[in-house]
Amino acid sequence: MEAAPSSSSTSTSTSSGGSVTFYDFLDRMRNPASLDLVRSIKSFIVSFSFYTPNPDNDGKKVQDFYLSMEAAIMEHPLWAAATFEELDSAMEGLEKYVMTKLFSRTFASVPEDAKIDREVSEKICLLQTFLKPEHLDIPAVLHNEASWLLAEKELQKINTFKAPREKLLCIMNCCRVINNLLLNASMSENHALAGLDDFLPVLIYVTIKANPPQLHSNLKFIQLYRRQAKLVSEAAYYFTNLVSAKTFIVDLNGKSLSMDEIKFEESMQAARLTQTNRATQIETSPTLQGQTDPTPTRMHDKEKDTSGGSNYPYMDAEAGELTVGDVERLLSLYKDVVTKYTSLYKVVRHLSISKTETPVPHSEGTSFLLTQPEGTNTKIDHQKGN
Amino acid sequence: MGCSSSLPDRSSGQLAGLNSENGGVSDAKNLRVKLVLLGDSGVGKSCIVLRFVRGQFDPTSKVTVGASFLSQTIALQDSTTVKFEIWDTAGQERYAALAPLYYRGAAVAVVVYDITSPESFAKAQYWVKELQKHGNPDIVMALVGNKADLNEKREVPVQDGIDYAEKNGMFFIETSAKTADNINQLFEEIAKRLPRPASS
Repeated sequence: MEAAPSSSSTSTSTSSGGSVTFYDFLDRMRNPASLDLVRSIKSFIVSFSFYTPNPDNDGKKVQDFYLSMEAAIMEHPLWAAATFEELDSAMEGLEKYVMTKLFSRTFASVPEDAKIDREVSEKICLLQTFLKPEHLDIPAVLHNEASWLLAEKELQKINTFKAPREKLLCIMNCCRVINNLLLNASMSENHALAGLDDFLPVLIYVTIKANPPQLHSNLKFIQLYRRQAKLVSEAAYYFTNLVSAKTFIVDLNGKSLSMDEIKFEESMQAARLTQTNRATQIETSPTLQGQTDPTPTRMHDKEKDTSGGSNYPYMDAEAGELTVGDVERLLSLYKDVVTKYTSLYKVVRHLSISKTETPVPHSEGTSFLLTQPEGTNTKIDHQKGN
Repeated sequence: MGCSSSLPDRSSGQLAGLNSENGGVSDAKNLRVKLVLLGDSGVGKSCIVLRFVRGQFDPTSKVTVGASFLSQTIALQDSTTVKFEIWDTAGQERYAALAPLYYRGAAVAVVVYDITSPESFAKAQYWVKELQKHGNPDIVMALVGNKADLNEKREVPVQDGIDYAEKNGMFFIETSAKTADNINQLFEEIAKRLPRPASS
């Protein structure tokens, strides 16, 4: 379904290639010789279901597990002659595997995080209605809608991936687009490079335009679950910049911008009113015909999809994958579906269309199934798998 | 902590092999340090770094040229190397509260001012105080008076810089990113002052 985010070859710390690495890891795990490793992984994943989520503890547990597995893999006969790159690939595969399995248990797993996500997203929605590049003193030479849009798209991809490495890559790619913009400006327009003084305002502006989904939870997830040895150097720097942009947005007030403070308050108030009005309209007239936007409160939400499946993104979801943060979206989709269904029913009531189906829920955890971000299921099974 | 702050606590000798390339591990011969640049916007922080990174010619090192993150390795006379990972910060006032996100875990802080601007010197002192309060206690700090080529417009006397640095246990140097004066000396001097991990 989704390809792993591409990483440029110049990247120093995030470049070991996506899926190939991962399939190699799965292959090795199917080898009977790795039964001991598979057992450790399995029991680690199962052990998580015994406790209620506690992000800081969970992060430490996972990091400790990475390190103990790293030691085990280095001593393992299957990797006896492995190069540094191969060992590193194995660890990348392990991270992706473990975190994909534990995703619903570890991502936005406590209500506080879902609340912060909502608050950040709502504040960004308000800011989107009036914020201009000038308010952040972005010099005219860096005004480039095409580059900004490209950077936004990279950031918006963050929820398409479950593995911390791939989420981090979305951030890196967004930052690379901005860096290219700065470098081009410095070469063609003779704009003196001003380092982060140029970069950060553009990143903040792009973040506001993009309103990336669950920004807070995504950052926290990467921080806690990306292998610590990999969240260093350039990756750590650009990651820190997005944390910085988020912090700036959360704390943003009339004094943070090059804008009259009273005007700022008025604009925020106006944006709030517009939003409340829109929300009320939708609530009071649920049978509105032609209501096509399932998420009216998200101003910047996603490109218009034409295929039915992507209008209803939870079609392939399983109960265990849902988080509290999904409730708002689900409810809105539910209302949308009911509205459409009701209209449809009125028109074609002479036909019997009330066929119902009772879906059989799959219980996760009974089989060692891997849900990959690519959307295919791979089974690690020693009885059949080799 | 010092430069060893970039060492993950858990890495044992056995794991060093896997971590040494991309991870936060340094050994006695090859240090890897996080250096954070602080100072008002317009004092030339980025220019100093660009001059340092581009001025060094080392055919074996792959220089990452980004706009605000740069790294450069220098070789010292005792055949050790130091790889600086240089973190720029935003100088505008509205971003001041974000600085701790950047200097957390840094082994070196280079605080830059412009010798033609007393305001930037005051701002430099503000950063020094903030680092003393909230920074890594073993951080190596350097105070840099940049734009030394503009001596005729000087408003901050050399002696003021020397005195302030001495009082605060910092290394002091005046540089010119424009003429490259003292740029390499700045980084070499920092490299010499770094605490070394116990040699194995």
